[in-house]
Amino acid sequence: MVGNLKRFFGKNLGGYLIMLPSVILFAFFIWVPLLKNLHLSFFDVTNYDTIGDFVAFDNYKTIFANDLFIRSLLNTLQYIGWSLLIGFFVPIFLALLVNEAVHFKGIFRTALNIPNFIPGIAATAIWVYFFRSEQNGVLNSILANLGIDKVNWLYTPNWSAIPLIVLTMTWKGAGATMLIYLAALQTIDSTYYEAARIEGANMWWRLRLVTFPTLFQNMKTLLILQVIAVFQVFYEPLMLTKQNPYSYSLLQILYKTAIEDMKIDEGAAMGVIVSLMLFILTFVYLRIVNRKQKAGA
Amino acid sequence: MKKMIVSVLLLASLFAFYACSNDTSGSSNATTTTGITDITIGFWPESNLTQDVEMYEDWERLFEDDYPQYNIVGQPYVYDTATFPALASTGQLPVVFETWFTEPEKLVSKGYVRDITAILSELEWLDKMDDEMRAELTFDELVYGIPRDGYGLGLFLNLEIFEMVGLMTDIDMDGIVDIYDEEGNPLYPTTMDELYETSAFISHEMMRLYGEEVAGLVLLSANKNGGWQFSNLVWNFGEALQVYDETTETWRANLNSPAAVKALEWIYELKWTEEALPATPSLTYSDWYIYIGTNQAAMAFVGSDAINLPVTNYEMPKDYIAFVPMPQGTDDQMQTHQYTLFGGTPFMFSARATDEQVRGALLFMEYIGRSPETSEIAVQSINRGNTVAENKGMTIVPSIKAWKDPAYLMMMAEIETRYVNVYMPNFEPFYDGLATTKRPEEPYYTQEMYEILDGVIQQVLTNENANPEALLNSANTSFETNYMSQVND
Repeated sequence: MVGNLKRFFGKNLGGYLIMLPSVILFAFFIWVPLLKNLHLSFFDVTNYDTIGDFVAFDNYKTIFANDLFIRSLLNTLQYIGWSLLIGFFVPIFLALLVNEAVHFKGIFRTALNIPNFIPGIAATAIWVYFFRSEQNGVLNSILANLGIDKVNWLYTPNWSAIPLIVLTMTWKGAGATMLIYLAALQTIDSTYYEAARIEGANMWWRLRLVTFPTLFQNMKTLLILQVIAVFQVFYEPLMLTKQNPYSYSLLQILYKTAIEDMKIDEGAAMGVIVSLMLFILTFVYLRIVNRKQKAGA
Repeated sequence: MKKMIVSVLLLASLFAFYACSNDTSGSSNATTTTGITDITIGFWPESNLTQDVEMYEDWERLFEDDYPQYNIVGQPYVYDTATFPALASTGQLPVVFETWFTEPEKLVSKGYVRDITAILSELEWLDKMDDEMRAELTFDELVYGIPRDGYGLGLFLNLEIFEMVGLMTDIDMDGIVDIYDEEGNPLYPTTMDELYETSAFISHEMMRLYGEEVAGLVLLSANKNGGWQFSNLVWNFGEALQVYDETTETWRANLNSPAAVKALEWIYELKWTEEALPATPSLTYSDWYIYIGTNQAAMAFVGSDAINLPVTNYEMPKDYIAFVPMPQGTDDQMQTHQYTLFGGTPFMFSARATDEQVRGALLFMEYIGRSPETSEIAVQSINRGNTVAENKGMTIVPSIKAWKDPAYLMMMAEIETRYVNVYMPNFEPFYDGLATTKRPEEPYYTQEMYEILDGVIQQVLTNENANPEALLNSANTSFETNYMSQVND
């Protein structure tokens, strides 16, 4: 055993020393907080210094009995649904358009990506003014000039704010995703299109038979990445609708419970639930990537 | 083999880190070096407030000259629930900091603050403290802080709007709009019905005369501010939101009482029948002064300690402000009720602070005019504070006193006569009625209750088909099940 260790370190020591700083940082900033969170979720916690009795799953039972938590969970699923409906195809469409542009392609590419350069809070603050319910909101001013009554954009009953919040997220994020699709589009050999044209394929068939099969792997990967990102929606509803229960997200209630209400144990339990869900999604993502790599190889 | 060794090493390092991270027995931020005790002051002004910083530095010099055993360290910190637990857990909380009167129960139960009863007793301050404020800071007969000052909830009037719609005018021609008619009858709303009518009238008239969308009344509905204001409305309609049942000897939620339904229906009608509330149905305490200060609203329910906000943020002329009591309501038996929700700002002390640090911090209070002491130093510091406020163009209104000691009250009355810079006849209705109408917030899970009520108010403000009674029934069940039932355990 000792001999094995000696041989192992003798052979690999340099490599492990290079790796060490990353492992330390990774352990310190990722794994230790995760473990600590898991630990706290099973205890009665007064504050971070005063950890009381082991309570098994009591904190989990409490959060699942909390209507707002359940509502936030359902809202988050709605965010994901709406983001797939509104946000998933926009970058593909934009990439196709930019790819077809003959002139000023660079300008279009940059312009569409500009919202992504704006800090998230500032970008959302812009939308706060667009969606203001008062007459002086940007959208309501436009409506007023058209002789249409003002609209309570984010607070109309039976019409949740979630689609509009997703719209703002799409506006901000679509440009960056578009670049990935654009890069994939530009790898398509133009002879495929020429062959399709010769065979009499119209635009739709060229898209269906040449373009989409090329983009398909990217679409699968970006879809799951989008789901993971939207699952963590936080500051957009926080700024746009504050504490409206109809648009409350999982991370919002986690923040409220653990930080504002100082219920560290319940917050930790919520954190574990969110982590588990993200873990499953990440697992799916990795499976897709692995399959893609194998297919590529 | 290789994989196993790597896994073992990674796991070992992980647990080593975890073990290290659990060692939270860190030292207190309190340190005594070379016989001098450092006292970190959390309510120290931010560096951009140069006049205030200069004033605090002068106070610090005076104090350290008189008490060389202490070293005052300014550590500006505005209490925020988002940053507080992190600061407290890492031992970076100042020795003394300001918070809100809704927070002590939570901070005490979480062990973030310490009791200072013995030191207050030693300084003979305990019995000089305002009784209601002391009660808010007392848990199991131990006192955990001292009050800075109090506030009462009242009705803020934007007199410019009242004048524009012809409801008030400058009767005595002194350049200030008057809130009484020539016979001395109030022109401002004194009952909930009058408030309803005035709000509606202003909204309609501002649109008719000037084509401007102006809310008659700003009503808050988010960040627990909606529930906070709503509780005062319910009291004025005749009921409490939490009641003690003598027969069962238990506390129970009372969010769906006839008075609460009436209050919510009052809001509903203002919103949907009169369109007299702001179109945005999710407003917080940071919003009311935007509406008032930019002439987008005529009235708001406001704490007496926040009157200054539209002046400092939106340069609203002081003479266009009036502050009157919360309007009187009527219950089903036609009995009238009028209450003023009463709260304030306490100073609290980090759980890690030593006795010596607490003593030093309390002694420093005299040098900044926040103690019950009436010494020359105390008088000078209060005068200095008022002069700085005056130079900054702030409103100076009579404060709601944190201490009840007669000598202190006399001193403050004398000082305020010189410094109050608002037109007092337009503020007197509030201060005159305060002593008989003030009422502390509901006792249990108050913030949680406010939050539940926020949701109810938001639903009424967003859904024209909302059923106030059904919403309150559901809120009552939720509050009773999740919170009030724990009070009786």
